[in-house]
Amino acid sequence: MRIGSTVLLSEQNCIQSYEWRLKRPLGRIQGVLDSLEEYQCDEVAIIRPVRENDSFANFQKDIEVIKKLSSMTPISFGGGVRTLEHLKLLQYLPIERLIFSSAFIEKNEKLILGAKSLFGHQAIQCLLPITRKGTEVWVYNSSKNNYISLTSVDTEFINELANEVILFDITHEGMSNSFDWTLLKNMPFDSKKIVVSGGIGKGDIQKAQVNGIASVLVDNKLLHQEYSILGYKHATKLS
Amino acid sequence: MKVNILDIGSGNISSIKNWVEKANVPTKIIKNAQHIESDLLILPGVGSAGSYMNRLKEGNYDVAIREHLANGGRLLGICLGFQIMTQHSEEDGGVNCLGLIDGYVERIGADISHNGWESLQFRSNEMNEQSFHNQHKLTKKRVLNGRVFYNHEYGVVNNEHDSFSTSVSSDFSQYDGLFVKNKIIGIQFHPEKSQITGLDLISMIL
Repeated sequence: MRIGSTVLLSEQNCIQSYEWRLKRPLGRIQGVLDSLEEYQCDEVAIIRPVRENDSFANFQKDIEVIKKLSSMTPISFGGGVRTLEHLKLLQYLPIERLIFSSAFIEKNEKLILGAKSLFGHQAIQCLLPITRKGTEVWVYNSSKNNYISLTSVDTEFINELANEVILFDITHEGMSNSFDWTLLKNMPFDSKKIVVSGGIGKGDIQKAQVNGIASVLVDNKLLHQEYSILGYKHATKLS
Repeated sequence: MKVNILDIGSGNISSIKNWVEKANVPTKIIKNAQHIESDLLILPGVGSAGSYMNRLKEGNYDVAIREHLANGGRLLGICLGFQIMTQHSEEDGGVNCLGLIDGYVERIGADISHNGWESLQFRSNEMNEQSFHNQHKLTKKRVLNGRVFYNHEYGVVNNEHDSFSTSVSSDFSQYDGLFVKNKIIGIQFHPEKSQITGLDLISMIL
């Protein structure tokens, strides 16, 4: 199992986010990546937490920052990749994998297949920001800024075109040891292709290991303690 | 030492450039087959075999790569860049590849993807038995012992004799993680994203 980190990129800088709404500045992304690389973080998912009002100009500005990154850690990137025009800008970035969210929810097959042709199927990740409302799991669609029931998402389409699915617990984002594992109940994806994020702590890492999850992405906490990644890796050995 | 990186419009060139230049060796990105002029030519690989081979042929890169080898140059393929050195890949419904390595590429399993870190160990003299050996002695390191990052769904089965190779992992032992024969080296993992081990490896290769 891989142990990585989620890094949020907003207006060309890193931010920390709590419960999908509170935001605090974290500084330059190169500095954050350098720290994570030093801790031998297995992978980093850089996500732009954008909504329906994201503009192409903003996207371009963030891309310029990503373009200049120098890192020897595997990087996934996504957030606001909505058209083939956006996709073109990703072609020469120092990233290995692409993250799509709204494109999967809205079944934008042309965009996903375009990405597959450029980067290969192994590079395509689907991000589903999810939360529980009563007995149902709801998915946040950022391009529309609304929630829809998971039952109305075509999960077969996701299974076919995504190499991995990142399940992001938005209610517990930024918290410790509080990932809601009931979200995974009846989730129609093989655990080997599931990546979990949002509120991940050491106890969650042990649960992920037991459940055969592909990867866990720790959020803000990873950057608060020097060498904390070693503690998380140790947690998998204890389980 | 001249290191060329082939750019056929298929991603991640900057990471490869960053990886080689961390060993204090300058690189040149090549966008025209006629401009290849190097001791070591690197074929990065992102995408799928079908479109990659089409681009190679359209730009006459396939001919230029063979000429580079015939002139005594060394060739390094990474991930898909390694896979297309074989004779055939079953990706995209079947693709004829460059045929520089006696071997083929197959899906590592239905709906199986190999994304993650695996250990890599070898002694430099095992690799240096091939004519590829590190000519510039950038490191005195004799043993590489670290971990490397994989992200692939297809693997190389090589039928070569007298080559040096290490397997991807115990779970994927039939597929090569690192392959060296004569002037050719193929790497299935991503050395440019393998942190400290990637840096050790490039010093041992160059």
